Amino acid sequence: MQFENVTCPHCGLLCDDLSVKVTGLTVQLTDSTHPCTKAFTDASIQTNSLPTPLILGKPVSQEQALDKAITLLRASKLPLVSGLIADVQACREAVALTEKLSGVIDHANGSIIRKGTAVMQRIGEVRTTLSEVRNRADCILIFGSGLLARFPRLKDRILTPEKTLGSENTNHKKIFILDVSRDGTTRCKTENNTSHIYLNYPLLESLVYRFQEVVTRPKEYFVEHNSESDPDHDHDKDTKQLFSILDTILKSQYTTIVWSVGDFNQESAEHTVQALTESVKILMKKVRCVALPLGGSKGEITANQVATWQTGVPLPVSFTQETPIHNPVLYDGMTMLQNQEADCLLWVATYNSDDVPPKHDIPTIVLGHPNMKCKLADVYLPVGVPGIDHRGLACRTDNVATLPLHKIRDSTLPAASDLLNKLIDLL
Amino acid sequence: MEIKLTGGEVYDPVHQVNGDKKDLYIVDGKLQKNLTDNKRLDNTFDLSDCIVMAGAIDLHTHIGGGKVNIARTMMLEDAHSHPHPGSDILRSGNGRAVPSTYSSGYRYAEMGYTACFEPAVLPVNARQAHMELADTPMIDKGGYALLGNDDFLLNMIREGTTQNVINDYVAWLLDATQCIGIKVVNAGGIHAFKYNQRRLDIDETGPTGSKPREIIATLSKAVHELGIAHPLHVHASNLGVPGNFASTLATMAAADGLPIHLTHIQFHSYGTEGDYKFSSAACQIAEAINKNKNVSADVGQVMFGQTITTSGDTMMQYFGHDHASPKKWTIMDIECEAGCGVIPFKYRDKSFVNALQWAIGLEIFLQVNDPWRVFLTTDHPNGAPFTSYPHLIKLLMDRSFRNDVFNIIHKDAQKASNLPSMDREYSLYEIAIMTRAAPAKILGLSNHGHLGEGASANITAYRKQNDIEQMFAKPAYVFKNGTLIVKDGEIVETVQGVTHVTKPEYDHSIEKSLKKYFDDYQTISFNNFKISNDEMIECIGNQIETHPSGNNH
Repeated sequence: MQFENVTCPHCGLLCDDLSVKVTGLTVQLTDSTHPCTKAFTDASIQTNSLPTPLILGKPVSQEQALDKAITLLRASKLPLVSGLIADVQACREAVALTEKLSGVIDHANGSIIRKGTAVMQRIGEVRTTLSEVRNRADCILIFGSGLLARFPRLKDRILTPEKTLGSENTNHKKIFILDVSRDGTTRCKTENNTSHIYLNYPLLESLVYRFQEVVTRPKEYFVEHNSESDPDHDHDKDTKQLFSILDTILKSQYTTIVWSVGDFNQESAEHTVQALTESVKILMKKVRCVALPLGGSKGEITANQVATWQTGVPLPVSFTQETPIHNPVLYDGMTMLQNQEADCLLWVATYNSDDVPPKHDIPTIVLGHPNMKCKLADVYLPVGVPGIDHRGLACRTDNVATLPLHKIRDSTLPAASDLLNKLIDLL
Repeated sequence: MEIKLTGGEVYDPVHQVNGDKKDLYIVDGKLQKNLTDNKRLDNTFDLSDCIVMAGAIDLHTHIGGGKVNIARTMMLEDAHSHPHPGSDILRSGNGRAVPSTYSSGYRYAEMGYTACFEPAVLPVNARQAHMELADTPMIDKGGYALLGNDDFLLNMIREGTTQNVINDYVAWLLDATQCIGIKVVNAGGIHAFKYNQRRLDIDETGPTGSKPREIIATLSKAVHELGIAHPLHVHASNLGVPGNFASTLATMAAADGLPIHLTHIQFHSYGTEGDYKFSSAACQIAEAINKNKNVSADVGQVMFGQTITTSGDTMMQYFGHDHASPKKWTIMDIECEAGCGVIPFKYRDKSFVNALQWAIGLEIFLQVNDPWRVFLTTDHPNGAPFTSYPHLIKLLMDRSFRNDVFNIIHKDAQKASNLPSMDREYSLYEIAIMTRAAPAKILGLSNHGHLGEGASANITAYRKQNDIEQMFAKPAYVFKNGTLIVKDGEIVETVQGVTHVTKPEYDHSIEKSLKKYFDDYQTISFNNFKISNDEMIECIGNQIETHPSGNNH
C-alpha cells in the first residue's frame, strides 16, 4: 500500500512530503533516488514475526516484562527516565511517570540542547522558522559545512527552493557556508550564489568569535590592532572576508544565520551560541537579521517542549523534591549515569534501532524500536515506531510547527505511550 | 446524578437575577428547574452564606502555545520562585506569570473560573497550543486563530480578491486550526517588521500595499458575514506608544459599524500630554466605547510586580525591548503567518509610566457604562498574572481601597489621573456580567455564563465576607458540569474540560488555491496542516464542542 504526505521524524526538519510504500512489515520510500538517505531506512521489520519482550535476553510476555520493570523501578531510589527519542504522547507519559517515581527526566542529547536553553535564559534570542527562511531570506550564513549533510533536505526545501514568496533577490539568495580550513589557507569557492568559505582559524568557534567582533566593532579597531609587523597576513585576509560578508548583510533585507550546536566544541558551545545570538541582536539594530539554530534530530525539541509545558521548566527536570526543579548541573542525565547517581534507567527510544541505552552497571528498562538489539537490558519492551505503527505528533526544529505522524503499518506493536501509561497504572 | 444547592444569593444577569435567594438544581451536569421525580438526590449543599454565580470565563489569557513555552523557558526565576507541589490528585508544577499547564488549570479553577480562551493561536502552532490546552485540566478552553499578517491574506487583499473568497479562507482556517474566533494583532505590522519596517500606523501602507485599516475592515466583515459569534478580536496598532489612542479610535472606525472587540485596550489608551509626554486618554476611549455599540473591549489591567510579556506583536515588542527586566528578550518571525515577542517586565508603582498605566486601566473600567461590553482581564501575563483578578475585583468594587492604593503610586502619576474623582463601585451584579454573562454571550456559548434551565452546571459559590479580594480568591464551592471540583478554595476532584470551536460553512474550492500555496511556498504539506476532529481527540487530547455560527444554524 502506498501512502502520501508521510512525515519523516529522522531529522529536525520533519519533511512531510514523502511517499512511502508498505508491504507487510516492510516500509520503503517509493522514490529510490530520494535525496534523503535517513528516511525510513530502519523501519522495516525483517523477521517474519514481531519481536517479543525480553528479560535479560529471554522472551517473556508483555505482562511479565512490565511486572519486572515495576519491580526494578520500585526498588530504585533515584530512577532516571531518558532517551525520550519519541513522540509527544510518549513524552507526556514519560514526564508523568517520572513524577510518580520522584525521579529525574532528561533527553539522551540533553546536554547539547541545554546550550541554547541557557543562552535563552540569559539574554533571549532572535529567531525564525523554516518557511520564513525559505520565502524571506535573501542572505544566509551557515556556520559549519557539515550541517548540510546532517539536514539532508535543507538545501532543496529551504535554501534553494524552486519558488519563493519574495523578490528576485530571495529567489537567488546569497548563501555563505563558513568553516575553518584546517590547512593554514583561506579559500573561497562560489557557485550559483553559494560561497563555500574556509578561513584560517584553528576552530569553528574562533571563526564565530571573530565574526562577532566584526559585527560589534568598527573597522578602525582592526586597523589599530593589526600592527604592520604582524607576520600573519592571512589573519587580515580572513577578517576582510568577514567584513565583506558584513557588507552583504547590511545591504540585504532578511539575513538568516544558521548553525547546529552539535557542530561546536561542546565545552565552549554555550559561549559560541551566545556569541552568535549577540551578533544577531546587534545586527537587528540596523537590519533584519535572525537566527535559525537547527537540531532536534533525535526528538529533542519534542521532549523539551512537552516537559516545559507540563512542568514549567525545560529539561532536565528533577522530581526528587516536592516540585519540578530544573538544575542542569545537578541533574544532567548522562552525568548522573556516569557518576552512578541514578540507580535505574528507563530508556525510551522509538525512531531508530541504534539508539540503544548507554552501557552502565545499573538496572535498565528499555522501551525500544522493534529492531533494537538490546539483549543486555534487564527488560526490553519492543514498541511501535511513531509515524509508522501508530499516530503521533512531533515538534520541528524551529520549535513552532508540530507535525502529525500517521499510522501506515498494521503491526500490533504497542505505542511507547501505552506501555508508559501501564507502568503508571501499575505503580 | 442530582444535586440541590439551597439558599444561595444568586447573581445571574442573563435572567436578571440580582442577589435573590434561590435554590438551584443540577441533574446530570445541567441546571434544571427542579429535580426529577424518579432519580435519587445525591447531595445537597447549603449555600445560605454564599454568593452564587455561574463559573467565570476569561476571554483573553495567554496560557498555551509556543510563545508561552518560550516564556517558561526564559523565566526560570518565575518557575522556581512559585513552586506548586502535587498531591494524590494533582500534578506538580511551577510558575506564576507563566505557570505550567496543569498549574494554570488548577489556579483558574481555585478562583472559580470554568473556561479560558487563548487569544493568539498561530495557525502553524495550533497543534501545540491545543496540546498545551489539553494538558490544562479543570477548565473548558478555546482559541482565536491569528490572521492579518499572513502572506496569503495580504496577497488576496492586494489582488482585490472578493470578500466571499476571503470569507472562505477565514472559515477554512477556523476549521483547520480548531478555533472559535479570529484575532488580528497589529494588522500588517508584524509582516512589515519582517521587511525592517519598525512602525506601521493604521493608514500607512505596508510592504504588500495594504493598510491596517483595510485589513481590519476585511476581516471584521468576514467574521460578521460568516456569522462567527465572537467579533473580530483586535490588538490594535501602536501598542504601548504615547499618543496611540488616536489609532485606537481609528481602529474602532475601521470596522465601519460591524462588531469589533478591542483587546487589552489599556495599552492603547495613551496620550502625549504633560511633562512626561505620556498621559491618560482613557476618557476619550471610554467615551468612544460608550457611543459605539458595535465596540467591546477587555482592559488588560496592569498590576504592580514582576511578569513577562508575551505577544504576537514583534514590531512593538522589539520597540519596547530596552525596558526588559530582567534584561533579556526574544523576538521570533513565524512561517509567513505571524511572529512573537517575549519580554520580561516589572511594573513599578514608583514609575510614572507604570503607575499611570495602572490608573488608566481602572479609569477605563469605571468610565465604560455598559458592563456587557467591557471585560475583566490583565491580558495575562502581559499586564499581570491572572491570579491577581481577585485584587482587581476589589479595586473595582471598593472605592476607598482603590484610593488607598492610588495614594501610594508615583506622585506625578497621581496628578495626571482623575481616578479619585470617580465614585463608581462595581456591584456584584456587574461583576457577574463582566466575568460570566458577557464573555459567554460574546463568545456564543449559549449554555455557559448563566444559571438558567439547560445551562452547563458550571457554578461558583463564594462565602460572603467583608474582604472582597479574599472572597473571590477562595470560593467555597466550584462545580464543573455538576461535579464538585473545588471546596474552600482547594481542588477536591480533577476534571477535563472541552475545547469550544466553531465551524462556519464555506466553499471548499478555496482549498485548491490553498493547496497550491502550500505546495509552492510552505514547509508543511496542505494535508498535514489541518487538524481533524479525530486528531484533536485521539492525538492532541481535547474533546471538542462545536458551536453554531450564523451560516450553519
